[in-house]
Amino acid sequence: MRKALTAALTALAALATLAVAAGTAGGSTATAKSPTASDTAMITCGRTRTLGVAAPITGAAASIGTQQLRWARYWVTRYNARSRRTKFRVVQGDTQLPDTAQAIQVAERFASNSQMLGMVGPAGSQEVQVSTAPLRRGGIVNVSGSATRTSLTTDSTRRGYFFRTVPNDDQQGPRVANYIRGTLRHTRVAVVDAQNSYSTGLSDTVQSVLRSRGVTVQRESVNEADTTDFSSLVARIPANTQSVYIPWQLAPKAQLFGQQLRAAGKRAVLFGSDGLFDPDSFRIPGSFVSFFPINLSSPVIRAYRRGPGRGKSELFGLPSYAAADVVGKAIDKACANGTATRAEVRRFVNQTNIPKAQSLLGFRIKFVQRRQGVLGPGDMATPANFGIYRINNRGAYVRVS
Amino acid sequence: MEAGEDRPRVGVDDWVASVETRKERRGGFAAAGRWVDAHLPPWARLAIFAALAATLPLWMDRGDLFAYGIFTLIYIMLGLGLNVVVGYAGLLDLGYVALFGFGAYFYALLSSEQYGIHWPSWISIPLVVTSTALLGLVLGIPSRRLLGDYLAIVTLFFGQAFVVFVNAANPTVAGKGLTGGPNGIADIDPNDIFGYELISRTQQYYFILGVVLLILIGLHFLSESRTGRAWRALREDPLAAEAMSMPVNRLKLMAFAFGAAIAGLAGCIFAAVLTAVTSGNFGLPILITIYAVVILGGIGSLTGVVIGAIVINVSFQFLAPENPQDNARLLFYAVIVLLLVLGVRPWWRLSVVFAGVAALGFVANAVAGAIDSSWTSGAVVEGGRLAGVISDWVIIPSGHDRFANIAYIALVVLVLTLTRVHGWWRTIVMIPTIYLAFVVWETSFVEQPSVARWILFGALLVFLMTVRPQGLLGTPRVEIV
Amino acid sequence: MDLPLAFNSELFTQLLVNGLTLGSLYGLIALGYSMVYGILKLLNFAHGDVYMIGAFVGYGVLTLLGGPLSPNVALAPLIVFMFLAAMLACGALGVVIERFAYRPLRDAPRIAPLISALGVSFFLQNSALLLFGAQFRSYDSFVLGSPNPEFFEPGPLTDAVFVVNGVNVQLIQVIVLATTAVLMVALTLLVAKTRIGKAMRATSFDREAAAMMGIDTDRVIASTFFIGSVLAGAAGVMFGLLFSQVFHFMGFLAGLKGFTAAVVGGIGSIPGAMLGGLLVGLAEAFAGGYLGGRWADLTVFGILILVLLIRPSGLLGTRAIQKV
Repeated sequence: MRKALTAALTALAALATLAVAAGTAGGSTATAKSPTASDTAMITCGRTRTLGVAAPITGAAASIGTQQLRWARYWVTRYNARSRRTKFRVVQGDTQLPDTAQAIQVAERFASNSQMLGMVGPAGSQEVQVSTAPLRRGGIVNVSGSATRTSLTTDSTRRGYFFRTVPNDDQQGPRVANYIRGTLRHTRVAVVDAQNSYSTGLSDTVQSVLRSRGVTVQRESVNEADTTDFSSLVARIPANTQSVYIPWQLAPKAQLFGQQLRAAGKRAVLFGSDGLFDPDSFRIPGSFVSFFPINLSSPVIRAYRRGPGRGKSELFGLPSYAAADVVGKAIDKACANGTATRAEVRRFVNQTNIPKAQSLLGFRIKFVQRRQGVLGPGDMATPANFGIYRINNRGAYVRVS
Repeated sequence: MEAGEDRPRVGVDDWVASVETRKERRGGFAAAGRWVDAHLPPWARLAIFAALAATLPLWMDRGDLFAYGIFTLIYIMLGLGLNVVVGYAGLLDLGYVALFGFGAYFYALLSSEQYGIHWPSWISIPLVVTSTALLGLVLGIPSRRLLGDYLAIVTLFFGQAFVVFVNAANPTVAGKGLTGGPNGIADIDPNDIFGYELISRTQQYYFILGVVLLILIGLHFLSESRTGRAWRALREDPLAAEAMSMPVNRLKLMAFAFGAAIAGLAGCIFAAVLTAVTSGNFGLPILITIYAVVILGGIGSLTGVVIGAIVINVSFQFLAPENPQDNARLLFYAVIVLLLVLGVRPWWRLSVVFAGVAALGFVANAVAGAIDSSWTSGAVVEGGRLAGVISDWVIIPSGHDRFANIAYIALVVLVLTLTRVHGWWRTIVMIPTIYLAFVVWETSFVEQPSVARWILFGALLVFLMTVRPQGLLGTPRVEIV
Repeated sequence: MDLPLAFNSELFTQLLVNGLTLGSLYGLIALGYSMVYGILKLLNFAHGDVYMIGAFVGYGVLTLLGGPLSPNVALAPLIVFMFLAAMLACGALGVVIERFAYRPLRDAPRIAPLISALGVSFFLQNSALLLFGAQFRSYDSFVLGSPNPEFFEPGPLTDAVFVVNGVNVQLIQVIVLATTAVLMVALTLLVAKTRIGKAMRATSFDREAAAMMGIDTDRVIASTFFIGSVLAGAAGVMFGLLFSQVFHFMGFLAGLKGFTAAVVGGIGSIPGAMLGGLLVGLAEAFAGGYLGGRWADLTVFGILILVLLIRPSGLLGTRAIQKV
């Protein structure tokens, strides 16, 4: 009898805990559940507003996800320091790239979080892919700081819902390829993709442009995340290769690859994409990196270095700051009359117009409304030129184009 | 005592054999759980589970239903399939997740824009299930020659090879990369029941619940059948089974095939629910989770797998950073209190602990604040309603990285010490340990909830395993020398 | 499929050297797996994370002594300190893990300690993430000890010690190979000649009988974990010196390869573990060098599966004779 009683009591306790947890888990109020989180539900903007940040915080891609999270949080810190009446707070979602199952869970939960009006992220292009349906249903706008696959905007299926504060693959690729062929005048190039979504897109674009301009391109592939020794790859690259294009995202791996290349006596010049723009980790002298033209001596970046960056600028996460800026400003505008709906926030994001002086990216942030060339709705209407930087003998990045 | 136990049995040491009864008498909620498991007939358990599960969409919002409901059911399904291979037949298959992946990708190929094929589910799902079963059979062929850990390695390779094949190799078939490379396959059609498409989460949830119930019923009958009994014999002692002229190899292959079929079914559902699949969905972390589900619940027990999946997925989601942190804090504190209430007896000792922790907190905070005000001036992150009390009770220095790290290491050391001491020493050590737990929560966990989730999850696994090695509902084995 | 490069003896030698170096690392990790398996029949999945902690400890020592760009001590004693610190710390960690996560599961079904090991692995990995952050830490081994590190002048570690067939064998590679050889010899002598080695062999043969013979099996098991973890710590520092970049996830990946190497070489066999490690390292180097990224990994798996199908107990494993 006692056992049955204990069993019943334990079950009751477990159920109670479950109920409490479920009640507190989804939203911020512990009242009965009702699906209030939707596109047109009017919510009262209190003093504290919620910003969602979805990034890979743990797992294989943690080193890039935490940078994005820190930059987005930094925006919130700066905002909260300046603003008297309203505050923002961050709700994190750990998407654990490359496991997209977590990304869709985060998307569903964010969409159900009735207090959330907008979010930064997701980081990976395939994560955006799986998150689209739940986020659309919930009506939440998402502004990504690193999802660069061109088709995400050019297929127009996410118009009005998905925006990004980074240029897409088709803007960066041709610029790089033309620089290699036109300015550097290299004719023997190796392209190494990292076996992930970001780099295969860029690699394919660069490879095809180079080949169309008569360059001999050797295409290689390596699993950037899992590889710790690039000596086999180094061995495959002949000594007469003039440059190696590495559109990777993990700057320390690129650094290692470059050093092993040098140690093997090969003189090929490294060319990195925006994922490698990291003056703290990728510093092989003589290398090039493409990035959009930011002001490296901006006081915001310097303050970040001193503060949350702890001595590092972690520039991979910089576009997430801009993304937080876009979403935050839109939420503020929507909440100006005290209430807001997600549809309103989306509209304000679409109408974003942050002047160059206030934007950390080095140019005015405006979003394209319809397809034009390689830009789709949701891409930034950026100045056409990506910047090309060269790393000098002391490891400093100098803009050369 | 069961009837007939007072009759002496030849060749059996009574004292040793009655260990189970003695453990039962000690009580506690684990024993209660086992009593329930032993006395409730299977159909009653199924009915209770079905009834409780069916109510979920009524009180959970969409996001929670997805994360808690649908994913728990998928893990249950995968756990049940693995249970057939590992639990019934005793074969260590570390490539199981590749069968899951194969099912998902094959379904994706048959029902998406990849090749423009959009077969309805009543054709594609059975096709995928049978082909996955065949693949499982192929995977099982090395089991003739390889024993135990060597089979594990070969299956592990297979699992890894699948991921690499799908992600990098991606051969071009009919003009397109077969598996989509790193981008995977997107825009997968939802499952449909003869034309009725399952789009909303609630619809999908009920469908998956139905499938899980069917699998549970099927597996129950299977385990009671001749094949099931043969598998159990095979698991206990393969050599004896062979000596009893059981077709050991055929049984092994059947186990692989059955487990694979369930994995294939889970794959179809997974692909439809996610609407896109990539290689990252089928890596080692998922494999480990499925194993944890099976082992935590107790190998070979159907109820155990269900409970294991619920415990693992629910605890993992509880700690998810998407939960607002002041509620997560409430949960953390509540769980610690609950553990204390359940674990510390008698009542007066419990109250000593509570009083001690509270006192220690206020005293330590006051002292630290008096020595140097920056030692307690850190902000309480997401304090909510309790911010004032917390900042007076827990020491949070401003600029607290180093302090947080030291506190964390001190906490680990104290917890380990706690397991080694007994009696009054344990009660005394418990007090600073609990206080330190709150300090660590406030200074590092609350700012990095995703990392904290994994740490707590890992600690939970170790704790559960060391406390109950046979899993929650497994039977402990007593070895007689 | 990328065409294999034309056979070129320089390429072959380069890949051989790389493969042996990498293989030594895997072998050291595999040794820890093998030894623990031999005694407890336990697959210690947390072993890879002990290796990761070793790499971080080495980094910690490097930072304490001035940091990679401006070390306060000369290169040779610096490296020795890093090795010693990492080896001791990992040894202690291994003993602690055994004591708290595995000892209570001594008599449990074999799969239970597996889950406990996984729990420890998650715990260690994410503790490292919590304490050190997600960013990669660099040993900067390429400029370590160099007179002008800020100009990226290569340090002595990458200097060619000797040249074989046109291929530079770097100092660091020689260090790794030599240290591994020394450790292997020491381990073999320990197991074959000393009393504790004899006790280890006895315990791995039959634990209960050994206990009845008066051997303190708890101490023997703790020593086994200690030695295995010491080797993992050494491997961790070697990794840092070879490849510079240490991060919290590295243990998971290397542990997998080490486990593979242990099984392929014949789990429970010490020379087998080293052999297995070398095999995995060479297979990776050659497949990566000749076939290129897309098919290299699959080929490595193929080779290893083939080895296991031909010799089901691994290269040097003994066929278990089951007494009925």
